[in-house]
Amino acid sequence: MTETKPITYAWAINHAIDEEMQRDPTVFLIGQDVGRMGGVFGLTRGLFDKYGAERVRDVSIVEHLVVGGAVGAAIGGMRPIAEVQFADFLLLAGDESFHKMAKWRYMHGGRLTVPMVVRAPCGIQGGVGAEHSQSPEAHYWHTPGVKIAVPSNPADAKGLLKSAIRDDNPVIYFENRRLYRNKGVVDPDPELLVPFGQGTVAREGTDVTIVAWSAMVPAALEAAEILEREQVSVEVVDPRTLVPFDMETVAASVRKTSRLLVLHEASLTAGPGAEIAARAADELFELLDAPVKRLAGTDNPIPQNMALEPFCYPQTDEIVSTVRDLAKW
Amino acid sequence: MTAVSSDTRVTDERGMLLRLYREIARGRALEDVVHQLVQERSFRGFFHPGRGQEGVQAAVCAALERDDYLLYAHRGLTYLTAKGMDPVEILGDFHGRVVGSTRGLGAGTVHCVDPELGIMGQGGTLGSSFTLSAGLAMASKSLGQTKVACAFFGDGASARGTFLEAGVTAKAWGLPVVWVCENNGWAVSARVQDVQGTSDIAPRARALGFHTQVVDGQDALAVYEAAREAVTQARNGVPAFIEAKTQRIDGHYTGDMQPYRDRDEVAAAKARDPLDLAGARLTELGEDPAALAQIREEARAEMTAADAAARQSPFPDGSRIHEGLWA
Ligand SMILES: Cc1ncc(C[n+]2csc(CCOP(=O)(O)OP(=O)(O)O)c2C)c(N)n1
Ligand SMILES: [Mg+2]
Repeated sequence: MTETKPITYAWAINHAIDEEMQRDPTVFLIGQDVGRMGGVFGLTRGLFDKYGAERVRDVSIVEHLVVGGAVGAAIGGMRPIAEVQFADFLLLAGDESFHKMAKWRYMHGGRLTVPMVVRAPCGIQGGVGAEHSQSPEAHYWHTPGVKIAVPSNPADAKGLLKSAIRDDNPVIYFENRRLYRNKGVVDPDPELLVPFGQGTVAREGTDVTIVAWSAMVPAALEAAEILEREQVSVEVVDPRTLVPFDMETVAASVRKTSRLLVLHEASLTAGPGAEIAARAADELFELLDAPVKRLAGTDNPIPQNMALEPFCYPQTDEIVSTVRDLAKW
Repeated sequence: MTAVSSDTRVTDERGMLLRLYREIARGRALEDVVHQLVQERSFRGFFHPGRGQEGVQAAVCAALERDDYLLYAHRGLTYLTAKGMDPVEILGDFHGRVVGSTRGLGAGTVHCVDPELGIMGQGGTLGSSFTLSAGLAMASKSLGQTKVACAFFGDGASARGTFLEAGVTAKAWGLPVVWVCENNGWAVSARVQDVQGTSDIAPRARALGFHTQVVDGQDALAVYEAAREAVTQARNGVPAFIEAKTQRIDGHYTGDMQPYRDRDEVAAAKARDPLDLAGARLTELGEDPAALAQIREEARAEMTAADAAARQSPFPDGSRIHEGLWA
């Protein structure tokens, strides 16, 4: 029998890295404080002692090197897991991520492979401000050549990270810091992978579909609980990866509900929801009884003030009222 | 750190110089073909002539093993041919034909690739090779290989921040990188002294703890000896740096008339053409000038034939753009 004790999202990430490093000697970690300290958020604890400094590589403040070096190591036959301390810092390595990581294979005729993962802790939490709180998944969705994982719970966090590490393509793995302490049951089977491009229905319902990922999934589920008491039945679809994006699961849900809300933490304008809403308008028009709605982060830099943070991304009451309005159509 | 014992001085000067002479001649002959393509407009895009700098490229590549990694730069083509790449594939890239190394995506100087020969490509953004070479060196070391990762770049690119980031990390981990700065004194129209406050690049590498050499880039044999030393250092875990003081004879790109540059300077650069200098030394050593002319003629014939072969290859279908994005 498999063990059923719940573990945290953070620990699920640790297990995924540990298992894959154990399985494949070409997997290694590189990033600031990933080694001796075990990560600024404690996610890589124990790995330095277990695998040593060659496989758990502490670096200086060198984001270009972390990502660009990972690209080099990947084309040289390794499977790097590069950690940037905050997803925002990935933008420092813009050339290395947008150009080298995403395009190196294609530019060179498809004759080189770039099997690497960038772990990017994202999300608004802890009053850390405009340059430590973003969720820049749209930036990379707009960049052909990278896959994007956005896990919302411990089981997916583990299964998606393992798939990402084994993938021969570059993957950005957005881990939301608000989820780190969330617990869930994770099957310890080391061969249990969550495939990319397969969304999941996190909650079944019949009146309104919410497409949400990462930390917006728990928020959507909470809103759905409240709405159920008002006789509004909400289905929550979690795509789990944005690239590839599982439009089929969204379509199947909208076929039932005829109403769609796209929910995300990143700021609204030209955000990831715009892509999904556009595709829904294009591909699901006949199924829809209402305009596709988006509820997302506000279009401002995130203030360094915890009291203001909740105003910057969708809160449960806003989700409830938006769905309530949608359900009236 | 392991002591470096091997003597890197060349014993057979004439033999080595002949080899370098041939590689310089081949690179130049290939470049002459490319100039023609630009003129007849069968290649559209940037080409950055390497005339004057072939000695550096030929000599460093001569010091590399077949499977050592190479991240070349944008100036000229001698790195590629000297590392062993098939000129038909290079010209196929210029022509945008499927025989090209990118299999029809096209390239010009940028993006030619040959994984078998360790030619791992080039980025269109200068300074990317610092971090990538560090990563390749990391892989080589972790996998227990002896390969070094050699990266070429200009004086301009050496100012990129990636130089510092990759440099400190290469030093910290004893990565087998060989960084070769082709210092031609110019980045397009910017004189290195004017924009960097110095004409010397090596001190910044020395400050990072690299094994550092400054060499006359017009003297191919001297570059070869420096490269042997650098490669030996790198294989022993000491990141190595060579600043080759060299000359850009032509403009930044084919067609650049260099109005920003003093005519005397260009004339002086021409007077120190590495092919001529190597030829003069070989003649001193007893080589028959007719034999040298023969080498140049063979190079021309080889590249003309390569061009004809590349032109035989078809253009890719439009569907080519959808291939190769994902592994
Ligand atoms: C990051 C970046 N900035 C600017 C350019 C445009 N550019 C191409 S070559 C070049 C000059 C480079 O000078 P240097 O590094 O000295 O090499 P050289 O051309 O002299 O061989 C410039 C500015 C570029 N390709 N990438
Ligand atoms: Mg220059």
